Amino acid sequence: MKFAAALVTSLLIVGSTGPAAAQGVDADAAQALAKKSGCLKCHSVSQKKDAPSYREIAAKYKGKADAEKALHKHLTTSPKVKVDGKEEEHDSLKTKNDADVMNVVRWILSR
Amino acid sequence: MIRQSWEKLRSRCERCARTTLILGTTLVALLFAGILMAAGAAGLAWTNTEKFCIGCHEMRDNVYAEFKGTIHDTNRSGVRAICSDCHVPREPGPMLMRKVQATFELYGHFVTGVINTKEKFEKHRYDMAKRVWTRMKETDSLECRNCHHASAMDPEKQSERAKNRHAKMKSEGLTCIDCHFGIAHKEPDGGPGPRELKIGKR
Repeated sequence: MKFAAALVTSLLIVGSTGPAAAQGVDADAAQALAKKSGCLKCHSVSQKKDAPSYREIAAKYKGKADAEKALHKHLTTSPKVKVDGKEEEHDSLKTKNDADVMNVVRWILSR
Repeated sequence: MIRQSWEKLRSRCERCARTTLILGTTLVALLFAGILMAAGAAGLAWTNTEKFCIGCHEMRDNVYAEFKGTIHDTNRSGVRAICSDCHVPREPGPMLMRKVQATFELYGHFVTGVINTKEKFEKHRYDMAKRVWTRMKETDSLECRNCHHASAMDPEKQSERAKNRHAKMKSEGLTCIDCHFGIAHKEPDGGPGPRELKIGKR
């Protein structure tokens, strides 16, 4: 009985903390790295700028199994992107720490 | 003593006494007005200092804490922009208007405590940001242009990306805040951003 109560309580706690907290995303660190890397010059979290907002990106990848892998590649390999019809090189995150990259990836996907 | 001298002057020359009285009164009035103006200017200058702005915890613990470490706080050249540089116009008329508006914020601070906790601040963050964005769009980002002059920008010294974006600003009639928002403070969640705000005149 005690075990069942503890299990229910644990599940409730995990369920109430949301996707970001469940995946252990450090939102402040992710935002700081995004800012340091110049991402916020073109992207915004939820408002319109020249590039899609992180909320739009999260919606685009929602439910896709390879979302994290695809976004990780996008943020580390400087792919070509089109902005206002012109091709530009997308900047990579300014870090060599893969855990920091994954933190930003998960932060974006949890918007 | 003064009275005696005055009576003496009056008895000798009535006209001289009257002229002295008018000149003396004018001088005292001018001196008084000068002191008042100097005190007013000093008071206004004081309300534009960083120390004054972070005198209340609502600013110090939220927007000022976010501002620390940003490009406008610390950078390679050491030129800083403090709160008033971005939030108070420099021209006397608009500055006085802004100061009058700001006095209403004292009501929120002392009476209603509308943003006196982190939770309350977050709840009102978007509305406060929207007010600043709206004002900056109406004034073509006046406070940005106190330091950044589009006419003085040399595209050759800008990255290709910045060059393209600034060309777009000119061709599409955008203003600084349309793109450069959320650079000194956290971006508020929800609601339209500056570019989506419909502003009547500019």
